[in-house]
Amino acid sequence: MIHASFSRRALLQGTAALLASTTFVTEAFAQASRRLIVAADSEPKNLNPAMVASNGVFFVASKVIEPLAEASFTAKDGLAPRLATSWEGAADGLSVTFKLRSGVTWHDGTPFTSGDVAFSALKIWKPLQNLGRLVFANLADVETPDALTAVFRFSKPTPFQLIRNALPVVTSVVPKHIYDGSDIATNPANVKLVGTGPFKFAEYKPGEFYRLVRNPTYWSAGEPKVDEIIFRVLPDRAAAAGALEAEEIHLAAFSAVPLADLARIGKVNGISVIAKGYEALTYQLIVEINHRRKELANQKVRQAISYAIDRQFVVDTVFLGYAATSTGPVPKNAPEFYTADVAAYNFDVAKANALLDEAGYPRGADGTRFELKLLPAPYFNETKQFGDYLKQALTAIGIKATIVSNDSAGHIKAVYTDQAFDLAVAPPVFRGDPAISTTILAQSGQKPGVPFSNQGGYANPKLDAIIAKATETVDTAARTELYKDFQKLVVDDLPFINVAEWGFITVARNSVKNVASNPRWAVSNWADTEL
Amino acid sequence: MTVLSRLMRQPEGLFGVVILSTLAIVALSAPLVFPRDPLSIVARPLIPPLSDWSVPLGTDRLGRDVLTALVYGARASLSVGLAAAATAVVVGSLVGTLAGFIGGIVDEVLMRVVDAFQIVPAFLLALALVSVAGPSLGVVVVAIALGAWTGPARLVRAEVLSIRERDYVAAARVIGMHPLEIALAQVLPGAIAPVLALSSVIVAAAILVEAALSFLGLGDPNTVTWGTMIAEGRTVLRTAPFLSIIPGVALVVTVVGVYLLTDGLNEALARRRVKA
Amino acid sequence: MRRSLGIVGRRAISSIPVLLIVIVGTFFLMEAAPGDAVDAYLLSMGGGDAALARDLRASYGLDQSILSRLWLYLSALARFDLGWSVAFGRPILALIAERLPNTLILMGAATTFAFGVGSLFGIVAGARPQGWLDRVVSIGSLTLYAVPGFWLALVLSLIFSVQLRWLPIAGMETIASGKVGLDRALDIARHLVLPVTALGMIYLALFLRTMRAGMVEAWRQDFVLAARARGIPRGRIVLSHIARNALLPLVTLLGLQSAAMLGGSVVIESVFAIPGFGRLAQEAVAGRDAPLLMGIIVTSAVLVIVVTLLVDLTYALLDPRVGASERAK
Repeated sequence: MIHASFSRRALLQGTAALLASTTFVTEAFAQASRRLIVAADSEPKNLNPAMVASNGVFFVASKVIEPLAEASFTAKDGLAPRLATSWEGAADGLSVTFKLRSGVTWHDGTPFTSGDVAFSALKIWKPLQNLGRLVFANLADVETPDALTAVFRFSKPTPFQLIRNALPVVTSVVPKHIYDGSDIATNPANVKLVGTGPFKFAEYKPGEFYRLVRNPTYWSAGEPKVDEIIFRVLPDRAAAAGALEAEEIHLAAFSAVPLADLARIGKVNGISVIAKGYEALTYQLIVEINHRRKELANQKVRQAISYAIDRQFVVDTVFLGYAATSTGPVPKNAPEFYTADVAAYNFDVAKANALLDEAGYPRGADGTRFELKLLPAPYFNETKQFGDYLKQALTAIGIKATIVSNDSAGHIKAVYTDQAFDLAVAPPVFRGDPAISTTILAQSGQKPGVPFSNQGGYANPKLDAIIAKATETVDTAARTELYKDFQKLVVDDLPFINVAEWGFITVARNSVKNVASNPRWAVSNWADTEL
Repeated sequence: MTVLSRLMRQPEGLFGVVILSTLAIVALSAPLVFPRDPLSIVARPLIPPLSDWSVPLGTDRLGRDVLTALVYGARASLSVGLAAAATAVVVGSLVGTLAGFIGGIVDEVLMRVVDAFQIVPAFLLALALVSVAGPSLGVVVVAIALGAWTGPARLVRAEVLSIRERDYVAAARVIGMHPLEIALAQVLPGAIAPVLALSSVIVAAAILVEAALSFLGLGDPNTVTWGTMIAEGRTVLRTAPFLSIIPGVALVVTVVGVYLLTDGLNEALARRRVKA
Repeated sequence: MRRSLGIVGRRAISSIPVLLIVIVGTFFLMEAAPGDAVDAYLLSMGGGDAALARDLRASYGLDQSILSRLWLYLSALARFDLGWSVAFGRPILALIAERLPNTLILMGAATTFAFGVGSLFGIVAGARPQGWLDRVVSIGSLTLYAVPGFWLALVLSLIFSVQLRWLPIAGMETIASGKVGLDRALDIARHLVLPVTALGMIYLALFLRTMRAGMVEAWRQDFVLAARARGIPRGRIVLSHIARNALLPLVTLLGLQSAAMLGGSVVIESVFAIPGFGRLAQEAVAGRDAPLLMGIIVTSAVLVIVVTLLVDLTYALLDPRVGASERAK
């Protein structure tokens, strides 16, 4: 009898499940009136932007913790004030003075003062932050003559241009009274953020969502304009587009909707595709080269590879037009530094083949000149697809490339620690100033184990001299000139090959207003975003 | 021969044989009919199927020919399936034979290892191994085989235990054959028939696991498999659904073919046993 | 009762060496991986210098030798301490306790669905072997059995969530909804309809095929022939004799499939953004978090052992011969 009752119960349960699947009907958006729901694809373990200056962290944390200044389309020098209201560099490059905003309080009610800035700079930005370690390498002290003034003192001349360009990225201010005296790396506030921004950190459910709520005492009157922001974790890349269409989320930034889907989703009623708002977050598609390979140590071979890449095809096919071709190591949308006056590599297979013949690598009986290992970075669909394209482009000039695929951690180790690559595809970020994360791609003497640096063994004393001189040249015009020389030399000698540069795409429901209101919009504070 | 003819006489078996032999012919003749590298870029990207006869099934995101990829994909997917099943069956049979024949502490240790592999979800193991060792076809084959060899091992061990006391094995022992020699020459062949039936299920499972790994981005980028085709087509699922539907259908048809063959084979073996 | 306790005891003891093999194997697998937790972390930061990497390695104990780390891990495990996750910066036990229930609910529902519907259709098909209904159901189940779960998941969500909007597209429940009690349970149920279907379908086919095979077998048995000879109506024979007999192998299958289903949930959880165990495993591998992956694998191994044990106990209760044969070994 046991058998029979067991089966009957199982059957009943099965039927119940089936019935359940047909009777439910979806309710549209969540209940709260002004709740903005946004897709997030990663959950950084450390959400403290003062320590981890990366876009993944800023995406969530920038709404809670603010920098001294933010990028702007219209303001002078492209910078709008946030926690600082003015900034002034001394002519000798040895100090920078910040005037701070008055009447600002932390989310726990404590007033914001210059002590917080000094603490953040000396205890976090300089010693702990991935980019601050470089920008503030010569920071000796921060003086606080009064509660609203902070004077940064440098031991060596430090270009004010660099500091200024780095402000939005490296100067997120955290509260001294929360961090002082604790182990900063493990402080719980690295996840439960406390800041001065328009939103307060409310809740984090791992694997599900982050919830931020309106800060009623935000210093900018009338802001923020929404009550809540939910960052909904959707790890699957196909999920964001569907969720937008099903009206389960309002907005997907950082190209969470695949490029190939944009043309279609742009036609869906109530959804717009927005290509603005990433101007200060330019990603560059480059081919990293291991100069230890004797073939690749030959400048002619590198130039041949550069000629073999059809940059326009890459932009049209891999990026579906949402990118621009590159001419050199500084992107076109950084007009302060960019120069078009560099050698041009227009797609020319015949010329590439001629250069390889000239270099002394004739085609063998099977049409192959030599073989290479190609490691495309796995972080983006586009870097992987470009890897597939590059393999084919190299075949056309008689170089046989084998793609070696790793997951992210494996790729970092293979390229930047073990240097076990011949060619690699990388997506470095241009962060407003070549000194922050661009020159490191060509400068010699990089220790193994440093991601996104020159690990290809390239060493050019002339280029190194220019880079070194620029880091201590205080005069803005002279410094800018040096970086133009840097571009010419890089394009000529090709320590790495620039292929394309792209910003990301935001897809949003039309109900969201003021999207892309500044050049770092996705990672800015969203105080003016409306629903 | 009698098993084969019995197999062909049932609709299931016949269908299975027809599907799989067609696939095998297509896969083997691929380099003759389509001499170009399936990864080469031949036309405009995203041409829909049946609109341009130089690329009858259309092109993918980069302008590669879908038909060529499909045919080469058959080669790769079937090879992965067969190689993984072969590895699993060979390793499993050896372990099972040793454990069953030697017995004692060896049996105990080997069976605990089998237990260990059986309680770890096979897909988790494959996922970890491929992430760690990097996705090449060889690694994928090993990863799939790691999760599949325990079935044959148990089966063979059980068969060996039932066979080893039979007269001819005992006789071999009496005439002084080395235990290992007996195991390989006398015991293993007797145990192989049920293992073969199991192995076709492993082939089908292996093809599916390869596809799932590729879906998670763990396919070999230098080879076209149906799994990598589905995974790549997925980013354009809404705009160009044919890119993942075509290899998806091919995958389902193949796996159905394998199952039909297995069913037919089991039935044919069962009838033979009944007659004997 | 004493017999059951005996089985439990023997199983517990015999599973210790098995678990040890699993742990040590996983440890060395992760040890062989290119890149460690610090590489993965630096990537998420967008870079960092060599000194930072060295400091981080030291603070996570990654600069110690392999064997001393393995020893530390094993001795902590003996105190039921699963350790600290580098990738998440949290205790592993807390992570697992947070994710496991979601997966258990998903798997439980999928098993129930697969078992219920599968055995039902198995009975339908096996009631008249080789009849047209049997042919249709068998071919259908074969096709279902051949469809990859991730593919089914994509198609289902496209149809029911995006096009028809009947069901939510992803997640375990409506985010930050504040729902409690029955409301919340219904909400979770709604979210689970698609993942459970996608995960359960292949097992449904499996149960169906096993059930049908068992029934086909049973038709040839003497007691069935006898029942037919006595003129018992066909419907009653099917239900009370044949189906009842064919159901027992399905119970065994339940235990065998628990490990496979846990693996299958990796892909389904990733497609439907369910914060479960499978996704945690994927994140552990991507973050090169060896202790976390070991924690996950050990927990899933224990889970599988427990499920198998429960199945065996059920079996022992149903069939006294099982306990006896186990004692005889």
